[in-house]
Amino acid sequence: MWAQIINAILGIWLIVAPAVLGADKAAADNDHIIGPIIVSFAVISWWEATRVVRLYNLPLGAWLLLAPWILGYNETTVIISDMMVGALVIGFSFVKGKTETRYGGGWSAIWKSDSLHEREAKKQSNNL
Amino acid sequence: MADKHIPPGWDYNPATWPQRIPIIILALVGLGVATYLSLFQLHVIPTVWEPFFGNDSRKILTSSVSKVLPIPDAALGALGYLTDAVAGLIGGDNRWRTMPWIVIVFGLAVGPLGMVSILLVILQPVMFDAWCTLCLTSAAISLIMIGPAMDEMLASLQYMKRVKDANVSTWKAFWGYKSVQGKVE
Repeated sequence: MWAQIINAILGIWLIVAPAVLGADKAAADNDHIIGPIIVSFAVISWWEATRVVRLYNLPLGAWLLLAPWILGYNETTVIISDMMVGALVIGFSFVKGKTETRYGGGWSAIWKSDSLHEREAKKQSNNL
Repeated sequence: MADKHIPPGWDYNPATWPQRIPIIILALVGLGVATYLSLFQLHVIPTVWEPFFGNDSRKILTSSVSKVLPIPDAALGALGYLTDAVAGLIGGDNRWRTMPWIVIVFGLAVGPLGMVSILLVILQPVMFDAWCTLCLTSAAISLIMIGPAMDEMLASLQYMKRVKDANVSTWKAFWGYKSVQGKVE
């Protein structure tokens, strides 16, 4: 979970960075759009049942590495800030952390057959 | 087993009151904030509290986006929070199995409400170059509700999968008909 707390803080940094660093409009808009989305995915993955949502931040991190060149940022500090945040977000998105609780096989168990909840349900009805 | 309503393959029951009450409290706080903001938008109160960003809150709350719908956007948010709170309250601690429909309504109310809040957060600086403290507060509340509400929805959806595989009527199970209770674990 600590990794996703850091990603949430990185997203908040993106939201305030344009004001702190003095970004131009294109860079500021990009940070103001991507920042809240990164915060959202990070916060949702604080809970174990939705920890998988952390992976949605991978493409956003990758975009932050490319955005300065595609959108043509003017300020070096903003380029460095966005690329560093992008790299860090990618790294921390891979950190799953401890997940000790069982959730019946998780979200894929809604369509996959013979998942944990189905096996356990069979066991329980056989014991009756 | 400590709790006979723990879903199969789970370590805890996501529908217990200690699991649900914090979400309901958050929804009620959100309801309060959104109601206050909509009273300003409906001109019932003349000013809006804004400790950090000067005139920005007024700019946001009277913007073109806030008037896209027939009712002010904060009023829509208040309705969303009310739905969250009511859908959080209905049903006992085995409702993931006895009334999947309310759990799904709950999950669908919490999820999209959060997403709309995030969208509105993005629009504040991008379209209006302004920030609104209470709007951000409301967004934070609706975001933090999403994660804890989803586990119960997962338990209900897994139950519906077992119902389908057992060739029991998914329609009847979804609405919690008495005739299908106990047929599927």
